[in-house]
Amino acid sequence: MRRFLLPLILLAIFIGESIFVQVTPHDLLGSGKISVPRFLMGALLLLTIFGSKKHGILYSLLFGLLFDIVYVEIIGIYLFLFPVIAFITTKLMRILHMNMAVASIIVLLGITLLEAGVYQMNLLIHHTDMAFAVFLSSRLLPTLILNAIFIIIAVYPFKRLSEKFADSLIE
Amino acid sequence: MPQFFLNKRLIILLVSIIILVALIGFSLKDRENLTWPEQFLKDTTGFIQNAVSSPVNYVAGFFENVEDLQNTYKENKDLKTRLDELARLESEVQRLKKDNTELREILDKKDSLSEFEPKQATVIGRNPDRWHEMLIINKGKNAGIEPNMAVITSKGLIGKVKSSNTFTSTVQLLSSMDPTNRISAKIQAGENNFFGLIEGYDKEKGLLLLKRIPYDAKVKKDQNVITSGLGGVFPESLPIGKVVDVVPDEFGLTQTAYVKPGADFYDIGHVMVVKRGALQPDLMEMVDEKEEEL
Repeated sequence: MRRFLLPLILLAIFIGESIFVQVTPHDLLGSGKISVPRFLMGALLLLTIFGSKKHGILYSLLFGLLFDIVYVEIIGIYLFLFPVIAFITTKLMRILHMNMAVASIIVLLGITLLEAGVYQMNLLIHHTDMAFAVFLSSRLLPTLILNAIFIIIAVYPFKRLSEKFADSLIE
Repeated sequence: MPQFFLNKRLIILLVSIIILVALIGFSLKDRENLTWPEQFLKDTTGFIQNAVSSPVNYVAGFFENVEDLQNTYKENKDLKTRLDELARLESEVQRLKKDNTELREILDKKDSLSEFEPKQATVIGRNPDRWHEMLIINKGKNAGIEPNMAVITSKGLIGKVKSSNTFTSTVQLLSSMDPTNRISAKIQAGENNFFGLIEGYDKEKGLLLLKRIPYDAKVKKDQNVITSGLGGVFPESLPIGKVVDVVPDEFGLTQTAYVKPGADFYDIGHVMVVKRGALQPDLMEMVDEKEEEL
């Protein structure tokens, strides 16, 4: 039973992101500032750090594909970026000693990488013409603030959840 | 060289980049319909979203109602002043409508570009990444919704249907930047109409760009912009917004108007999908046979 709890929660976050943007006002952190909920990426990275690396990357791949199909309709962007960032996180874990504070910073770093990666890809396929400076100030910064708040709230419950998930894999 | 091929991770990375490029290329090309696994996944998640969104909307609606209640007094005052004007307008519309049908009967012209039949739908999801502005609505093919239909709210045009599945469809908003997202529009300037194309959106100013207006068109501020119905899919005279500013384009051959959209692209709960009454011309019928041979 415990093995299915985590994927279900990830699915709930996946759908919750869409509801979050719909319910909250679009200029949550000041007018002209775009704050994007990257809660799913945050949860996936926390799972990678505290739970199982293998399952972290696997779920990143699955949810990346789901995200692409359901929300973006361009397959490949999140399908590629989610697992790659999860993979980079596993590499960083070898160097750093993981406690909750370091993990939170790593997750924020991952979200920065994700935003920058998606921005670059959209620039390549001409789906945006935003200048890099504008991107930094009106997108990346508000996004990081919003997600930092989420991570501060979610890091402890997710640590427990991921550890229990890892235990259930051993059993 | 052999060492290069032995590096398993590098190979995996290279192969995945090739697959990535192929997949993006595949999904960017102008597809009529999504593949069936995509449709199936979208319908399945749409089912869950549908179940979740109604209680969420109910709760959000409650808070909105409380907020509305605070503004009631001021709004009531404003509305009362408009009411007198409305009665006059209504009688005029009635008269003009009657005139119009009579004249049409004389001319024996039955279908008009402005005729449409609206279909109600509820928004059940929105793309959270805010790059590709898209909505998911709870009506699909079995409610008769097909790609490229116009989507409006009570205040004006908001976008078009990008793809439709059996039970859900995806709406691409006007504010989403996509090179293929173009809408034929016209500016109502007294006696004349000036035609142009809605292409792109200025995110910082929140204004739509109406490009390719003839260079000699005298466009003024506050003129209304509506759909022209000449694109072949949308009906005529769906309101889009009002002109804010006009600038010549970079080569001075045409003009670009900044249009303030009538509809809000963010706070969208219910939409109407518009099916045009007039027949949509088939592309093959429009192509001359001689041309085809070339």
